[in-house]
Amino acid sequence: MFAYLVNLATLVCINAILAITLNFIMGYAGIFSLAHAVFFGVGAYVAAFIALQWTDSLLLQLLAAMIVAGLISAALALPALRVRGDYFVAASLGFQVLAATVFSEWKSVTGGIGGLVGVPPASIGGHAFGDPVEFLGLAAVTLALVVVLTTAIVRSSLGRSLKAIRDSESAALAFGKNVALIKTLSVFYSASICAVAGVLYADYLGFINVESFTIDASTLFMAMVIVGGIGTVWGPIVGAVLLTLLPAALTYLPFLPRTEIGSVQQMIYGFAMVLLMIFKPDGLMGVKRGEA
Amino acid sequence: MLQMSKSPALTATLLEIANLTKSFDGVKAVEDVSLHLREGIITTLVGPNGAGKTTLFNLITGHLRPTAGDIRWQGESIVGTAPWKIARLGVARTFQDLRLFSHMTVFENVLTVMERSAWFWQSEAGSGAERHQRVHEILDATGLLHKADVRANDLAYAERKFLSVARIMATKAKMWLLDEPASGLDPRSYERFVALLRSEVRRGITICIIEHNLEIVVSISDRISFLDQGRLLADGEPEEILGNPELSSIYFGERNS
Repeated sequence: MFAYLVNLATLVCINAILAITLNFIMGYAGIFSLAHAVFFGVGAYVAAFIALQWTDSLLLQLLAAMIVAGLISAALALPALRVRGDYFVAASLGFQVLAATVFSEWKSVTGGIGGLVGVPPASIGGHAFGDPVEFLGLAAVTLALVVVLTTAIVRSSLGRSLKAIRDSESAALAFGKNVALIKTLSVFYSASICAVAGVLYADYLGFINVESFTIDASTLFMAMVIVGGIGTVWGPIVGAVLLTLLPAALTYLPFLPRTEIGSVQQMIYGFAMVLLMIFKPDGLMGVKRGEA
Repeated sequence: MLQMSKSPALTATLLEIANLTKSFDGVKAVEDVSLHLREGIITTLVGPNGAGKTTLFNLITGHLRPTAGDIRWQGESIVGTAPWKIARLGVARTFQDLRLFSHMTVFENVLTVMERSAWFWQSEAGSGAERHQRVHEILDATGLLHKADVRANDLAYAERKFLSVARIMATKAKMWLLDEPASGLDPRSYERFVALLRSEVRRGITICIIEHNLEIVVSISDRISFLDQGRLLADGEPEEILGNPELSSIYFGERNS
């Protein structure tokens, strides 16, 4: 039971990093991306590939994953500079589908559908994080750093510029803000920190394949942000905790036959979402906003 | 264009519009307009709806690209320059629909305008303490100090109007383009508003303002440019323009129809 809780807590930490980084571009830059799992996947594949081919050094894996994801984030930044709202959602969806295909077909790097197996535990300075409790500590510290860094950015002048662009891009331009650069920076930050979660994920599980990085995952991350509260500090964390623990909690309902759990889960999910959007449209941590 | 007698004491041209034309799918919103916006005065653009006044603003600030003609800021052409670069040259504007940063507080709305750099350090805006001090002064001057922590969205109508002016005060712009800034203000707010603009002009700001209300036009303008259907019909001193029966008939004919 303890091992099971440690496992859940580790996944909560990883999901929280994903939700925080997605919330950063959704809530503060107004970029609604359905391609967040792409950068999660890029981080995971880069880490696994490096671990299998060269080194188990966590810091090197992190560095490489952040750089690669940051560069690929240009694929998201370019459409984000040209189109807004619904059109961007469609563009990011296309990017997500494309990337999932690359993950499953580029066999020499990603291992194809089967994925990459036997990823050795990551190490820092020769100390390997093989023990799940130690790894949970690592994930928790990383999450704390991400929270602190992201909150600092949101409260800085860059954060205010992002919010200004979200609220009125044309006004931000008219007041001398380099909207293209600011958006590109924010997408770069979001993607590269998202890749950090991917590195942790690959090193923790020791096995990855495309199933964790599809549109389903992207949708789940977006749900975490919306359920928790877009544009709030604690919202994405609350959302990540709830949507990670809910499926686990449902398996404990005694009256459910094991074979039906999947579909019952989906129904409870859907029902909860509908109720939430009716009674708390700004998310659980959301502040009521005035009329638009 | 009607030739008006030139006033003897014309100041230097800050922004020059030369034979500017803008067509949307063949329809000319602005047609062959030439205009000098002169330093240190308030120039008012008047004319019926659809005269091309706001389009002219959008062309100046780079939000639209002209089909033909040139726009020169202190002698240099700014056609094709990105809007944020034009803003940094010293041209700031308000919008008819305000476009406040609606989910940010009043304080943040003003502060973020000073912080133009995309990075964390704001070398040209002074230290954090200086910026906060300046925001404080601007909110004081616009009567918004007691609303500093209120979201822009939650302000009353007149307060939103003043916030749009507070935001423009936070820029270091030499020229302000104001798109119907006084519409819908009650008389008391309106008087405060005019006094504020006058004190800014004394400080050396050049203002170009779009206004419909002739009472306001009379009380505020140093010069008036009259546009109709995309063309500049007249440009001169307020008495000349407002005393011209031909222009009044265009203006009121259109307004009353």
